[in-house]
Amino acid sequence: MTDQDRFAVVGILNEEPAPPPRRRPSRAPVLSALLLALIVLGCCFGGLMTAKDPAYMDLANTNLPPGGEFPFGTDTMGRDIFSMIWSGGRVSLFIGFASTLVSTLIAVAFGSLSGMAPGWLDALLMRLTEILLSVPNLLIVVFLQSLLGTPSPAGIALVIGVTSWTSMAKVIRTEVRQLRNSDYVVAARCMGGGFFHILRLHLAPNFVSSIMFMVVMNIRGAIVAESTLSFMGIGLPLDTISWGSMLSLSEKALMTQSWWVLLIPGLFLVATLLCMTNLGNALRKRVNQRHSNL
Amino acid sequence: MRFRSGAAYYLKKLAAFALSVFVLSAAVFALSRLAPGDPLVSYYGERAEKMSPQERERTMERLGLNAPLHVQYVRWLQGALRGEMGISFKYKQDVLEVIALRLPNTLLLGGIGFVLLFVLSLLLGVLCAWHEDGPLDRVVCRAGTVLSCIPEFWLSLLLILIFCVTLKWLPSSGAYTIGRAGDVLDRARHLILPLVVVVGSHLWYYAYMIRNKLLEEARADYVLLLRAKGLRKRAIVFGHCLRGILPSYLSLMAISVPHVMGGTYIVETVFSYPGLGTLTYESARYHDYNTLMVLCLLTGVTVIFCNMLGQVLSERVDPRIRREEAPVEVNAP
Repeated sequence: MTDQDRFAVVGILNEEPAPPPRRRPSRAPVLSALLLALIVLGCCFGGLMTAKDPAYMDLANTNLPPGGEFPFGTDTMGRDIFSMIWSGGRVSLFIGFASTLVSTLIAVAFGSLSGMAPGWLDALLMRLTEILLSVPNLLIVVFLQSLLGTPSPAGIALVIGVTSWTSMAKVIRTEVRQLRNSDYVVAARCMGGGFFHILRLHLAPNFVSSIMFMVVMNIRGAIVAESTLSFMGIGLPLDTISWGSMLSLSEKALMTQSWWVLLIPGLFLVATLLCMTNLGNALRKRVNQRHSNL
Repeated sequence: MRFRSGAAYYLKKLAAFALSVFVLSAAVFALSRLAPGDPLVSYYGERAEKMSPQERERTMERLGLNAPLHVQYVRWLQGALRGEMGISFKYKQDVLEVIALRLPNTLLLGGIGFVLLFVLSLLLGVLCAWHEDGPLDRVVCRAGTVLSCIPEFWLSLLLILIFCVTLKWLPSSGAYTIGRAGDVLDRARHLILPLVVVVGSHLWYYAYMIRNKLLEEARADYVLLLRAKGLRKRAIVFGHCLRGILPSYLSLMAISVPHVMGGTYIVETVFSYPGLGTLTYESARYHDYNTLMVLCLLTGVTVIFCNMLGQVLSERVDPRIRREEAPVEVNAP
């Protein structure tokens, strides 16, 4: 060590303060978006990839492992899983989007009504949602289904939508309660703006970013709900093909050890859910980027 | 003075609780009776189809299914207040007996699952927050997200495929091998897979919440002060940050009870585990009204109670929220 080094410590250090370590900006989930787009496109145009009819039961070829003529194999009833995946995905995705549309509409209406209402009405409405939340979903679903008659994708979407809006309504209510006293809302009301006018022009643009994440999660939840219901035998029947109703064959498949009947629809299901979660999380992270003090 | 306001607070909560349970029971009653479907089929099975109209009339009368809805409800309520919940149409047994037979199984599964969730989610959350954005945190976050995306029933199927069908290590259904009900080891073997699913499918949701709460806490100014005073990271995290998130952790866990319960219900049906979940499913499908009523009330009361507990915990343990909740009506029009 030279003398110069030894004495360099004394006195003012000629050193720039290290810049704080930059947090990696959260990347857009390109991979998830691509994969999801691929699955959605495949479901829309999947019919063009295969000449097979997904509902046709080829009794000569039941329970075939993947390969050859049937890229994903056939199920216990002899249906071609490859073409079932695409047409079933269409139903599953439709249910996801349609029921989210229903639940979002209800949540926006209910949440903003409760948020703008006077205290007693607000308390009443919120108590009501809590009670609704505590009725076992299974019962509501069975009840609504029996009202609607034979289960159809649109019916299931409606049932799931009607039973899954409460948490979003709560978030909207909280947001609206914070917004309702802001000057521009008060001004709009003074000038005689109606409820829907204020909702559309002043409230919705403000809470839309905070519920985007919930909307995406709602689609995911609806797809899970559909598949669970169909799997348990109270959702779509076997002959209406969706990822859930395909999985309802898996008990039989377990006995014959045909893993592909269980694994392939499930993998598509999980991949779709995962992509949606990643997209939702990316949406949410954009709001919240501060530095740790630790 | 303080005591009185406290008592009033709890009385109000109690009243709200009672009111909610009452409305819930009325709603469930109406829902289950209005749903189409023939309760006589669940009572008499095939025979119900062959009954003559007169016979039907008489049986409906005897089971009290003919009276107007509100009369039926009042009758049911009177019985319920005396502790008589009626008989199960399907099992021809007192409903409470049918439920008592299955309750321990669900409590065992749900209880152990909840305790595991309670501990593991906190540990995992702290672990991730400690290594924020480090490789460990990122790996755990990835894995957790994937795990939380797998639907419960499919996770169960997957585990059955791997451990029961292919490897043949564990039993795939039931709560015990027939004839060995008292064997603790045998029961434990039947519990492993359902427990893994119950805990696994909820774990990351809560761990992630705790991680984010902790990270938010780490961005507070007092942490900067503590660091300036020279405290170690461990002392800050365990002594101060964890205390800061304790109220939200406790209320989060209170709210998780209904979720865990819902999870056990699905898992029970996949593993044909004789618990309340399978019973609810059966009675809803076969219009076993009396059983369904009690099960729904049981579930509903638990949900309402846990939600309220969560509220009370966060309001009472954390004085900050109480102040925020005070009615603020600044420049209201």
